[in-house]
Amino acid sequence: MNKSRMMLCAVGALVAGPVVALLVSSGTALSLITQAVIYAIFAMGIGLLLRQNGLVSFGHALYFGGAGYGIGILLQLNLMPAELAVLVTLLAVAAFAFLVGLVIVRVPGIAFGMLTLAIGQMFFLTASRARGFTGGADGMNVDWPSTLFGLSQSVLLKPSNLFVLCWSVLVVLTLALALLLRSRFGAITEAVRDNEERARFIGISTVLPRASVYALSALVTGVAGILAALNTGFVSPETLHWSLSGMALMMVVVGGFKVLWGPPLGAVVYFLFKDILGDFATHWMTIFGIALITVIVFSPTGIAGALQRLFGTRRSAASGESA
Amino acid sequence: MLVSNMFNGLVYGSLLIVMCSGLALIYGLRRVVNFAHGALYMLGAYLGYSVALHSNFWVALVAAPAVMALIGVLLDRYGFRLLQDRDPLTVVLVTFGLLLVIEDVVQTIWGKSNLSVQTPQLLNFSVDVFGAALPAYRIGVIVIGAAVALGLSLWLRYSKVGLFVRAASTDPTTTAMQGVNTDALSAGVVGLGTALAGLAGVVAAPFLSLSPSMSSDVLIDSFVVVVIGGLGSLAGAFIAALVLGMVQAVGAVYLPDVAVLLPFILMVAILIWKPAGLAGSRT
Repeated sequence: MNKSRMMLCAVGALVAGPVVALLVSSGTALSLITQAVIYAIFAMGIGLLLRQNGLVSFGHALYFGGAGYGIGILLQLNLMPAELAVLVTLLAVAAFAFLVGLVIVRVPGIAFGMLTLAIGQMFFLTASRARGFTGGADGMNVDWPSTLFGLSQSVLLKPSNLFVLCWSVLVVLTLALALLLRSRFGAITEAVRDNEERARFIGISTVLPRASVYALSALVTGVAGILAALNTGFVSPETLHWSLSGMALMMVVVGGFKVLWGPPLGAVVYFLFKDILGDFATHWMTIFGIALITVIVFSPTGIAGALQRLFGTRRSAASGESA
Repeated sequence: MLVSNMFNGLVYGSLLIVMCSGLALIYGLRRVVNFAHGALYMLGAYLGYSVALHSNFWVALVAAPAVMALIGVLLDRYGFRLLQDRDPLTVVLVTFGLLLVIEDVVQTIWGKSNLSVQTPQLLNFSVDVFGAALPAYRIGVIVIGAAVALGLSLWLRYSKVGLFVRAASTDPTTTAMQGVNTDALSAGVVGLGTALAGLAGVVAAPFLSLSPSMSSDVLIDSFVVVVIGGLGSLAGAFIAALVLGMVQAVGAVYLPDVAVLLPFILMVAILIWKPAGLAGSRT
């Protein structure tokens, strides 16, 4: 896919958002797809790490819940306008992840995944035991001001508008990542992923690109965290819990991580299934566990991979270069 | 206060030794980080609870690990063995899926509320050491941890099967070419590792209550231990387990506010110093 076609797709997708919002009249359906879109962004962050670094994170909820807590605390302290607080939170999440990344990306292979799990859980424990205004296990409210980016709260929080906002963020992020990964940065990170030793031989430092990808994936997940905080107006330690990381990872694997749009697809499928299952939802862990095992064993490239095989090799070759 | 805290640290460290030796054995032979290990520990604990309810604790101590060993052998035969040529990530995610299934099954059978197992009569007394009353049951836990550590070390060092296990951990293909049946060996070792998870569960039941969150708590501590110790290294895991138990227990006295964070800080510090862990040359 060349640049102009990507732009065209993105514009098309941006237009599709409001159209969907107009067509779907039911409030519950809208809130369901809004949630799916938020988790699609979350999953895209994890997918980015897996795709560009070949590393699995079992603790990305840290950046999802962390961003929610960050914005909640900043708004509570009332130090700066909310718009700035959003920016500061995202930068802080990325900077923190970069520092963590410098330490943990040096740990090879699967031990990395175990570390992310442990670090994530450390913050879950801290948040659920903390006293003071973060509310410990009960969580805290996120006090959004009455106007945000020039829009009043009642306009912003209307389900259809919120959906359009989240959808547009997803589209813009996807486009930005697709463009970024076509650049030299994308090529370097892929070289480091595929053969770290040879990458070093040709003079590429390997820790910095890996840590940068880790920070970038945390940033994407942080955006999802802020949108979730806007959507619910509330943040609790559950948003930091590893089961949430696991759920998002499941979306990534089921959707397929080889292409950028795989994880978002997984998120949508997950929420559709959860809604359809409804009554069986008490056993969703078994159902999703078995679904995860089935997909990973029989189609390691996920639904996206299966779709690509279905629609021939031409398309998969094209998106293999670009997406 | 300090004596009894250090004692409790030793008790928890011993429990982690039993857990982590299973994790390290399975990793050694199959190169699989078993995310379901905590869930298997939980399953062992609940099985032990049911057996103890119908007969007594000592039967449970034997029966639950035996059932878990069978589950482990099946897991290897119909899971790890079929997936051995796949990307390690695939297998890890399969064990992650398994963890979800086992947790749900346990919750469905035994419910979500906390359960507890009575301390066996025989060990229901305490011993005075340096003015601290130490429950005999917990001393028993330390004995079991020490026995597992010593038994495994001697077995791996001096028995013929132990030699095969060490060889297969280093190079499975060459070991198979020398005429060792590595598939049968792996089935046995995964069975043993799973039985150890079950044993840890039964042993933990009388002093930690049974709840659906018990699996993730211990899994995360175990991961910290095996990462600090160096993946696949038994000796590293033994040392790291004791250090972690101590750090947590002593930290609870002197730094109560950050006690839960100490293991992680320790882990980060050690990994900056030695990225492959204390004993680690293997990746």
